[in-house]
Amino acid sequence: MGGISLNYLLRRLLVFFLTLWVAATLIFIIPRLAPGDPIAAMVARLSYQAGFVENSGAIIEGWKERFGLNDPVYVQYFRYLGGLLQGDLGFSMARFPSTVTELVGRALPWTIGLVGVATAIFFVVGNLFGALLAWNKTPRLVKVLIPMSMIFTSIPPLLAGLLLSYTFAFLLGWFPQTYSYGFGMTPGLTLEFIANVIHHGFLPAMAIVIVTFGYWALGMRGMMVTIEGEDYMILAQAKGLKPFYVLYRYMIRNAILPQMTALAVSIGTLVNGVVLVEVIFNYNGMGTLIVTALREQDFGLIQGTSFILIVTSALAVLIIDLSYPLIDPRISLEGR
Amino acid sequence: MEKQMENGSDRVVLKVEKLRIHYATPQGDVIAVSDISFNLYEGETLGLVGESGCGKSTTAYGILQLVQPPGYIVNGSIEVDGTEVLNLSEEELRKFRWTGLSLIPQGAMNSLNPTMRVKDQIIDVIESHEGEKQSKEQLRDRIYGLFQNVGLPNRIYDMYPHELSGGMKQRVCIAMGVALNPTVVIADEATSALDVVVQRIVAQTLVKVKDEIGVSLIVIGHDMGLLAQIVDRIAVMYAGKMVEIAPVENIYAEPLHPYTRLLIDSIPSIKERKPLKITEGITHDPRNPPSGCIFRLRCPFAWEHCAEVEPAPIDADYKHEVACHLYDERFEERRANAFATFANP
Repeated sequence: MGGISLNYLLRRLLVFFLTLWVAATLIFIIPRLAPGDPIAAMVARLSYQAGFVENSGAIIEGWKERFGLNDPVYVQYFRYLGGLLQGDLGFSMARFPSTVTELVGRALPWTIGLVGVATAIFFVVGNLFGALLAWNKTPRLVKVLIPMSMIFTSIPPLLAGLLLSYTFAFLLGWFPQTYSYGFGMTPGLTLEFIANVIHHGFLPAMAIVIVTFGYWALGMRGMMVTIEGEDYMILAQAKGLKPFYVLYRYMIRNAILPQMTALAVSIGTLVNGVVLVEVIFNYNGMGTLIVTALREQDFGLIQGTSFILIVTSALAVLIIDLSYPLIDPRISLEGR
Repeated sequence: MEKQMENGSDRVVLKVEKLRIHYATPQGDVIAVSDISFNLYEGETLGLVGESGCGKSTTAYGILQLVQPPGYIVNGSIEVDGTEVLNLSEEELRKFRWTGLSLIPQGAMNSLNPTMRVKDQIIDVIESHEGEKQSKEQLRDRIYGLFQNVGLPNRIYDMYPHELSGGMKQRVCIAMGVALNPTVVIADEATSALDVVVQRIVAQTLVKVKDEIGVSLIVIGHDMGLLAQIVDRIAVMYAGKMVEIAPVENIYAEPLHPYTRLLIDSIPSIKERKPLKITEGITHDPRNPPSGCIFRLRCPFAWEHCAEVEPAPIDADYKHEVACHLYDERFEERRANAFATFANP
């Protein structure tokens, strides 16, 4: 019977943590390969703004000491790993004394909400459209309209974001142009606030959905056509089952399995798109935070945000992986 | 007279007339089934045999209204218990399916939906035709009954198809096929994918279930030996034509059509290896069949008349028809000579 054995679960978790360790290590190394000294750069920026900073040399030394940048690299590395284990991502250098955990904690829920809702929409819409494209009982008009709705599939999310923002926020003014909720609002579980959040999140989510769902629709259509040729489809027809029942219980149910696999694979790419869309809409999520961190050469924040994005992607893939036995009875995750 | 009793009743449950099915290709239509007519009697088991590509499966799918594009039915009439199947609307046809005509499919290995439990695949056919008025327990007992008929253990009720062996899947298909007591069941090479031992057991199951429920059965296959043991009559097809249809004792004792004769002569026995007799002559292009008799290019007895006139089915015996000019009374002398030379080549 389909199921997950403890053995498999442990092995899969081991791979998960291994991924995180490799990611953490790469994230530690790569910024240190980049030229420039973040603290010197920051002090230079301060002097540029203020015209002059007293004792700049002492400040640089003091901060380097404070951030531990004078220690040997391996000491920094183990201190960093130790911090990660305790959920401590260090300080943001540009916004000292804010900690990275604090900044990420504020941004992450917004991104997860945005990506989660957008993914749910494009996955459902894409697969439904794809299924309808392949189904032989779909009205002709629908089969003409669906491909027309997919014209945005070939443009990057960045452009889609600009296009939507310009049309619906700037020209028509139907939606706000920036941020995840109105500036006068107090966050809380009130209907008003939720409506406001949906209003603000609509365009960013749509920017992701319109460029993505066509891809899923085409993939689904291909799978549906393959399923149509299966022997059990002929038997389903011979059995005289109701057409709609055959569509969802025989066709979509089987065609959706490879789509789930594809979803797990595409989560990384999806995050890329989200970062850009967030920047365009000045949405206060992880994407905007990452870009800010890059612009300010904020080592701590770059490391922290990248790491958290990798954790969430890896977690999403882990969840999809572990849910396979639930959707495909032929797969049972039992370790050898 | 006694033989007639053995062959069951004279009530026709399935009447196929002038059924013609083409496959559309860019180079013209391939004639897969060419004006086939036959009757299936109540309680009868009819075997449909022929080479690969002779149109036996296409005939079955034509009767079931399941010809897949680019195939299409050109003309013909299919009557089941007086209902003309070809005139049914889509919804009427859906309701007629499985209660009038059911199918035991060719590839039982892949004929079950891999993501549904065995029980659900039988329940769905019951519920789509009888409504959802039966309780879970009633359905379960009914399906257990079906399992018992085909010799399946009750434990597979909650299983998925991939957990069953090939023989079990085939039995599930048989159980499913008779779940609604259909008028006619068509078994399309139901045993071809199985090994010899399982083949025989499944074939016997098929006959047993058929006798218990009293349906009429069409069995399609190419294993004449296996078919001989389970069918009442055999219909022999060649290149989309039905060349002979006869009670099984007749066809083995004295095959009439030259093609059947060559086919039966080619069955090896345990004492003697025999070469395949049907090797001479060429097979024709199915888009452009020869004039007259379809078999004349390979027939050792063909003469000018065969190229000019297409042979019509001739009643040779009770429930025995043959489509060959040799059995025309006018050519009786020719027949005697032909078979004399053939017996001593």
